[in-house]
Amino acid sequence: MKDILTIIFRLTVACLLAGLVMGAAFIVTDKAKKHNLHVNEQKVMFSLLGYSAKKPAPETVALHEVYRYIVSQGDVLNVGYLLPLQDGSFSFVTVDLSGAFVAQNPVNIPAEKVAEEGERSQAILASIGAGKTIRYADQTIVVTNGGKRTAYLLPGKFPGFKTFIGTILAVDQDFSILGLEIMEHEEDPGLGGEIVQEYFKNQFKGKPLETIKKLEVMKTPLPEEYLRVLEADKRERLDAEEVARIQEQYRDSDIYALTGATISSSAVTNGVKAMVKKFAYRLEILDRVLAEQHIAVPF
Amino acid sequence: MATDKTSFQLVVNGILNENPIFRLVLSMCPAVGISTTVMNGFMLGIAVLFVQVFSSCTIALFKNVIHPRIRIPTYTLTIATWVTVIDMVLAAYLPEAYAKMGIFVKLIVAFAIITMRLEMFACKESVNASFWDGIGMGLGFMFGMMALGFVRELLGLGTILGYDVLGFKPLLFFVLPFAGFFCVGLMMAFFNYIEIVYKRAKRA
Repeated sequence: MKDILTIIFRLTVACLLAGLVMGAAFIVTDKAKKHNLHVNEQKVMFSLLGYSAKKPAPETVALHEVYRYIVSQGDVLNVGYLLPLQDGSFSFVTVDLSGAFVAQNPVNIPAEKVAEEGERSQAILASIGAGKTIRYADQTIVVTNGGKRTAYLLPGKFPGFKTFIGTILAVDQDFSILGLEIMEHEEDPGLGGEIVQEYFKNQFKGKPLETIKKLEVMKTPLPEEYLRVLEADKRERLDAEEVARIQEQYRDSDIYALTGATISSSAVTNGVKAMVKKFAYRLEILDRVLAEQHIAVPF
Repeated sequence: MATDKTSFQLVVNGILNENPIFRLVLSMCPAVGISTTVMNGFMLGIAVLFVQVFSSCTIALFKNVIHPRIRIPTYTLTIATWVTVIDMVLAAYLPEAYAKMGIFVKLIVAFAIITMRLEMFACKESVNASFWDGIGMGLGFMFGMMALGFVRELLGLGTILGYDVLGFKPLLFFVLPFAGFFCVGLMMAFFNYIEIVYKRAKRA
């Protein structure tokens, strides 16, 4: 009996000490980590849009964040969008599942707090009235250049082979893919982990909506000439005409699966397919509602 | 019982006589699963090196206050703490390295080699000896992983460190997990053979 008590006591002390050390490390490093993530995300977004340190984005380019929520009241499920307005304030527009307008509520939140999940949810809850619950779904970034829409950035997560794969997808106004970046994944190194390679990610580039809708993976070897184009950044300079011709040739082809990682390959393909299809559908509804209700958004 | 080996002997001991992979046959899961390329082996080796050294020192420091009945949970807790701390520090201050190494660091919590080394060595020895033993074990593990990675990458993908050396892919099956067992077995036999030859030459 005495032994058991000693063991319990010692283990508790050991656990508390370990917790203390980990907690201290967390407090010290958390801010820097979040900052890194944010900086990295921004960099990735601009690089997907074709801007880099050498070719910075012009002043006229602006990113507008739209947050999507699931609003539930009893049995009724609605979709809510937190939108920035032209005057700098925010508005929460609720749309029902068939796409009809339900309500618009002004949200009182300062612009610099919007990126913080907790504060944002509270501000929305306060604005839409009691009896409703909201759940954060996803976020879309509308890119404008001089007030005109040029592209959409879609951060998203979908199941991979082991855990979720986090990505950012860039599409243009016609929902053709501009680029795909894998932000986080835990696929097997050397096998599924190859989804981060240029020759896999770049296969999605340029595919139009019609192709994406029926996109599959195929288990045939990647042709050598296509591989050269996909890895163009890494390799020797290629003839621009040749590149355009090959890209055109493979534009409507399926995705070549990674060797030894068919499940990871099709997970990414299906994830991208679902993201683009759903986004195209939702945006159409949102745009119609915005036009009907004369809601002035900056994009 | 204190070891009478010098720090240099301790390091060499970890790399050769008691190599974690080829002699102690510990941590076979990562050896088989991750050692598909030289770079993977190197990354995991670095991560194990740090966690091993920190954990060994911690246990050697606190060896007198750890209750013998709960030593294994305490070891696991120590390793988990260090893994978490290293993971967070890397993510915060070395984001570039973290992008490459993050996935390997998280794998380490369950490694047999680290727990075994704490049980066999660090809980009996001084902090100084444990530090050098940790370094030896970490380097030994790294060496084993890189040797395995070299063979598997060359035979499986035809590359070394990502550079195409063969120009073709001889046997893809070498990068798949089960081929790791063949590789470990064959290389173990190879190192045993070298040892026998070496001993014979010494005797003669």
